[in-house]
Amino acid sequence: MARTRGGPHRNLTRGYSDDLRLFGTPAAKIGLALMLAVLVLLPTVVHDDFWLSVLIYVGITAIGAIGLNLLTGYCGQISLGHAFFIGAGAYITARVGGDLDLPLPVWLLAAAVVGAVLGGLIGPFALRLRGNYLAIVTLGLIFIGEHIWRNFKDLTGGNSGTSVNAPVDIGVADIDQMVIAGETYSRNQGWFWLVWVLVGVVALLAKNLVRTRPGRALQAVRDRDQAAEVIGVRAGRYKIGAFVISSAVAAMAGALFGAYQRFVSPDEWNLLLSIQYIAIIIVGGLGTIFGSVLGAIFVGALPALIDRYSEYLPGVQTGVGGEGFISVFALNQAIFGLLIVLFLVLEPRGLAGIWLRIKAYFKAWPFSY
Amino acid sequence: MTAFLQNCFAGLALGSTYALVALGFVVIYKSTGVINFAQGGLLALGAYLGYTFSNNLAIAFAVAIVLACVSAAVVGAAFERIVLRRMVGQPPFAVIMITIGLLFVLEPLITSIWGFDNKQVDNPWNIQTVGVGGLVLGVRDLWTIGLTAAVVIGFFAFFRYTSLGLAMRATAFDPEAALAQGISARRVYAVSWAIAAALAALAGITLAAGPGGLQPSISFIALAAFPAMILGGLDSPGGAVAGGLIIGLAEALTRGYQDQLFSWAGDNVSVIVPYLVMIVILLIRPYGLAGTKDVRRI
Amino acid sequence: MLVRRRGKGVVAAVAAALLVAACGGAGGDGGSDSGQAGAPGKTAGFDGTTIRLGVLTPSTGSVAVIGLPLTAGNKVWFDQVNASGGIAGKYRVELAQEDTQYKPDVAVQQYNKIKGNVVAFTQLLGTPSTLAVLPQLRSDKVLAAPASLDGLWVREENLLPVGAPYQVQVINAVDHYLKEGGGSTSSKICAMVQDDVYGEAGLQGLNFAAERYKFSIANTQKFKINTENYTGQIGALAGAGCQMVFLTATPSDAAKIWGTAAQARFAPRWYGQSPSYTGALAKSAVAPYLQQAVLIVSEGTEWGDASVSGMRDMVARATQFAPQQPPDYYFAFGYNQARAMTAVLEKAVQQGNLSRDGILAASKALGTVGFDGLAGDYQYGAAETRNPPRSSTLFAVDPAKPFGLRTVKYNFTSDAAKAYEFKKSEM
Repeated sequence: MARTRGGPHRNLTRGYSDDLRLFGTPAAKIGLALMLAVLVLLPTVVHDDFWLSVLIYVGITAIGAIGLNLLTGYCGQISLGHAFFIGAGAYITARVGGDLDLPLPVWLLAAAVVGAVLGGLIGPFALRLRGNYLAIVTLGLIFIGEHIWRNFKDLTGGNSGTSVNAPVDIGVADIDQMVIAGETYSRNQGWFWLVWVLVGVVALLAKNLVRTRPGRALQAVRDRDQAAEVIGVRAGRYKIGAFVISSAVAAMAGALFGAYQRFVSPDEWNLLLSIQYIAIIIVGGLGTIFGSVLGAIFVGALPALIDRYSEYLPGVQTGVGGEGFISVFALNQAIFGLLIVLFLVLEPRGLAGIWLRIKAYFKAWPFSY
Repeated sequence: MTAFLQNCFAGLALGSTYALVALGFVVIYKSTGVINFAQGGLLALGAYLGYTFSNNLAIAFAVAIVLACVSAAVVGAAFERIVLRRMVGQPPFAVIMITIGLLFVLEPLITSIWGFDNKQVDNPWNIQTVGVGGLVLGVRDLWTIGLTAAVVIGFFAFFRYTSLGLAMRATAFDPEAALAQGISARRVYAVSWAIAAALAALAGITLAAGPGGLQPSISFIALAAFPAMILGGLDSPGGAVAGGLIIGLAEALTRGYQDQLFSWAGDNVSVIVPYLVMIVILLIRPYGLAGTKDVRRI
Repeated sequence: MLVRRRGKGVVAAVAAALLVAACGGAGGDGGSDSGQAGAPGKTAGFDGTTIRLGVLTPSTGSVAVIGLPLTAGNKVWFDQVNASGGIAGKYRVELAQEDTQYKPDVAVQQYNKIKGNVVAFTQLLGTPSTLAVLPQLRSDKVLAAPASLDGLWVREENLLPVGAPYQVQVINAVDHYLKEGGGSTSSKICAMVQDDVYGEAGLQGLNFAAERYKFSIANTQKFKINTENYTGQIGALAGAGCQMVFLTATPSDAAKIWGTAAQARFAPRWYGQSPSYTGALAKSAVAPYLQQAVLIVSEGTEWGDASVSGMRDMVARATQFAPQQPPDYYFAFGYNQARAMTAVLEKAVQQGNLSRDGILAASKALGTVGFDGLAGDYQYGAAETRNPPRSSTLFAVDPAKPFGLRTVKYNFTSDAAKAYEFKKSEM
């Protein structure tokens, strides 16, 4: 009790160690507890397969977005090739998890390792190319990747795609059909818990990475790589390192995507997927871990909301021969595009920027003006 | 030999389209520092407007082309005026994302108005051909090459000889110095968007007049023009034209000799040739064939 | 101190949450209260009076050209069923339609969205989408009617295909070319196929025919969908001296391919797989070339052919329930699909069980279903014993006809097509 009265205010940062706190403030701790409670409770309240599956996709996307944010948001390397690594992870899972029938931790790890290796091969391009040039070269990665997926039939099943029959059980529990205390949980409920626990783990690891030395080095490279070199940061090594980590995380997201969907085809790893990830980290906020998750929720759940409630919107065509001038998909895409534009015009720092503003407002309350 | 020349001709026609789109990229990049991802959307919009003018309003095809280019230019300039002007000074990444946002708005707009089915644009070229020696040359391809050549010459003349062109070059060179000389940066930005949109529309409508007709997926061609722009160097109009032609030729020749030479590389390897050529050239010259090297300061 | 107390709070919250969670399982959808051979009990998608069926189709995107008329065909058939009282004379049918955009992952999401509210899916369009949803159909024990003609579907018990598979179309086309089309086994027979599962089906048929009739395929070209320029492929086919080319494509690519061929003055005998064609082609600039060089292999008859009873009925019903519907053979496909599904539903009602298990059992108990000449009759039953129709109809392009197609040879079956064996996929 003495500390609260006599000590410094809870939000005050006095030293370096305060700055490094993961969940320093009481508000952050309460927030964490709330999030945990939501994570555990939500699937027991929402049984609807549609919403659960939307949230599962959102979680998987959030993992991939954290990976991209490490590369783009923290290290400043623009990559349009994220979809390539996601695809690689999914195919590795099909072979390691599906054909060899190895358990979840093994295929998840295998995907991460392969992703890391591929990232290590692509990373060196970043040493030679900068900014927009790098962006367009990674765009090439998407198309070259698509060519590989279509022709490397032993791995990918070629154009026919491949089913992904990876076993999804972790030691005691089979995620596809969990039994806890006599109650059976559906596949989607199990997957929701699995995916969102992994989101938590990845977010925590990423947060730890960026608040320590490597993270500060990455940001120094992002802000001015030559200056970073001068003060002793090996910019080249960190650029490649960022590619390695980001693609390992992307491949894990791909592994989960494939295992959940049970089928993947080369058409899915296209430019649109990469752009979606970029939209997520921009809408969420570049260089924030929490923003990646917020962005994924926003970008993933909004189309689902529009889709679900489109029949109540005027002018939307819900079926063949129905009234209306715009289809649900078209409306979705248009709204998505408009939101990106509005967002960036009004708040270039993204959702996380809005969040920071709200936080700053209440931090100084009642003297916030 | 005939087969080789025939493939080269196909490559030139394809390369001309790439060159037009890439030139549009470069104009915008030079004046505003933004890569415009909406170029494909503007291309499709121009093509569909041309279709409406030519088919629904029964305007002569030559006039329809001009009208489509002008309307696309207005859309491009309006977009710059309404949205992008607010983004001056923001990080380029955010601005690129805005152009992607525009693409996402344009596409459903186009499909809501014109639908998804294949449209046949009324035009005098159709599938007519002329024989030259042993070669069969499509009339549409000849026109595409000719129009592109004319537009490129006009483009360079505009920048070389008109005061607006000079103002645009000055702004691209040093925006603040240009502003100090009384050049309106706003006007320059709007004009460069208008030019880029008109170039895209021209590429779109010549493409749509071909044997394949017109459908929304026509916008994909802009993706293959990215390598053309990067290959030439982001800020070099001459490089964009050269890049477009190189990429077009490389793609057509690979396609022509797929069976004899490239069967080991899998089917349809020509689709990725633009990107492979681009990567190889960029590794040798990181700023493309004619791009300006950034001066990096600490 | 304070920090530790808070920590306990978190633990307590989580523990409480887990306690609540323990009562929220959603696994094991309790079966329906079906009375055997009585009235079917309420179940997912059936509330005692109305049967709901799912439709997963691209209503947007480049394949919407096929998805929209096909769904209209589904609708008109069920409108007609409802107008005459419904399934077994008393249960109305309602369709729940979702847009898949022809993307497998979207198809899976949409499947999850509506699977709890429907008894079965009367349309699942696209080979890739069908393959994507198939694992879930199996584990959920749901029946779906695929709107594609891949030979893989024949042996899948969770799928209810209609019509002669693509492989049969190709074999019959080759048979026609060799016997009546002026070709011989020494002719240069070539293939131009889309670079995906659908193209592979066409190629399988051609390879089978090559083995059977003892000719070799002179040249094979594969293309990526939405390619902008086909001069290379056309040049290669012309260079190989192809006299007959079998084309497996979708309409927008087929238009470009034929346009490029016309431009290159390359005119072999083209045979086109049924989804290569759409009515707009007959009105386009390439129509004269198509009239001269192209035959389309499909099934059924030309739109409005009064000599075929199924066509008479369909046109009458289309006029009644969907007067805006232009002639289209994808419409007929959707109509046939709905007819097969109706046969399953009738059987399930007769057996008194509309649950998922009941529907699957009914599809296995089904005998031969006839389509009145709109497609060959299909012999259903257990997946291993099913026998799809082996007949095809050849059409020529004729702008004067509705949908631009004129029958050249109606409903013929080659011996080679009869001999083709369908295998279960390892997927």
